Amino acid sequence: MIRQWIGPAILGGVLGISAWHTTVVATPDVLMGLAVHRISAVGGINQFTHAPLATAASRTIVRPSPDIAYSSCPFDLTQGPLLIDAVPVPAPYWSLSIFDSHTNVALVRNGEKAGYQPFRLAVVAPGQTAPADYEAVHVDGIRGIALVRILIDLPARFPAIDQERRTTICHSG
Amino acid sequence: MRPWIRYLICGFLGVLLGVGGAAWSICIGALGSARTIGPWTTGKDYGTAEASAYTRAVVALRGLLALPATEARYYNAAVDSAGRPLEGRCRYHVTGVGLPTKWWSLTLYDPQGYLVANQPGIYSVGSAGLPSAEQAHWSVSVAPDRQPDHWLPTDGKQRFELTLRAYLPDDGGKGNFTGDQLPTITREDCA
Repeated sequence: MIRQWIGPAILGGVLGISAWHTTVVATPDVLMGLAVHRISAVGGINQFTHAPLATAASRTIVRPSPDIAYSSCPFDLTQGPLLIDAVPVPAPYWSLSIFDSHTNVALVRNGEKAGYQPFRLAVVAPGQTAPADYEAVHVDGIRGIALVRILIDLPARFPAIDQERRTTICHSG
Repeated sequence: MRPWIRYLICGFLGVLLGVGGAAWSICIGALGSARTIGPWTTGKDYGTAEASAYTRAVVALRGLLALPATEARYYNAAVDSAGRPLEGRCRYHVTGVGLPTKWWSLTLYDPQGYLVANQPGIYSVGSAGLPSAEQAHWSVSVAPDRQPDHWLPTDGKQRFELTLRAYLPDDGGKGNFTGDQLPTITREDCA
């Protein structure tokens, strides 16, 4: 009787391990896909959405920093590279980071590294090329998020920084 | 029972347990569970391809879009310095020293990773908002009711977590802060 279940039990164990591994590996891609969907539902795809400072009502992403002004550009490279014209804001901390579909950081550049000078990036999928005058950033997959973080050290500074940060733009190339 | 039915039952149960077990382990996984220092847990490979699949899954769930260690370090506490779970009905004294980083902040979240609603709208305390005299040695009260000094409201939540962010660490994110550098979380009393 027990012998009849040995084969099925081995099959169940193998499938269980495979299912565990597949779920763990797929989770980041699924959650990134959901984040891209949520953010693009607010401000569109391949363009920046400039969020207000996070409060208890914020539910777009988990663990938002209430001290940081976030500007996010969810991207889809199906039609071509994503072009970013970045203009660092002279705040105590500014950075642009690009996350691929697996949640890996393809690039992070802060204001100090950029010398607080404007720079141009082209987020490219495999097989795509960056236009002239744009630095190529290669990503896995075709979806992801470009995220600008700006430290708001004093709440009174937010309105001015909110205007300045809108000079950074992203668009489909 | 026919043999194929036995294979079907075991196969189905295997997949169910595999998917359910993975989801459960990701949900209970601590953000930055790679290293524990006192009440704080942290990891250094957020956002990098070197991160294990499990670490990446937990970070995606609990801290999506986290920066790599070269840019920021994240330390998370769900317990006090005595190892007891952080409870919203209790009053805590969090004390720390100046961290070797460009700036830091301490933020209170609910266990799902969202900011906790409170009437004054206070969600964090950070080095940018501290007077220069308090930069080297600072303290924050974490409590449901208003406190006379720097205060992080818990709003009486049953459980909460504290996240310490350290942006642009002086060592480029190569090492962890020591137990002496990280804040202590002392439970004072409970309602």
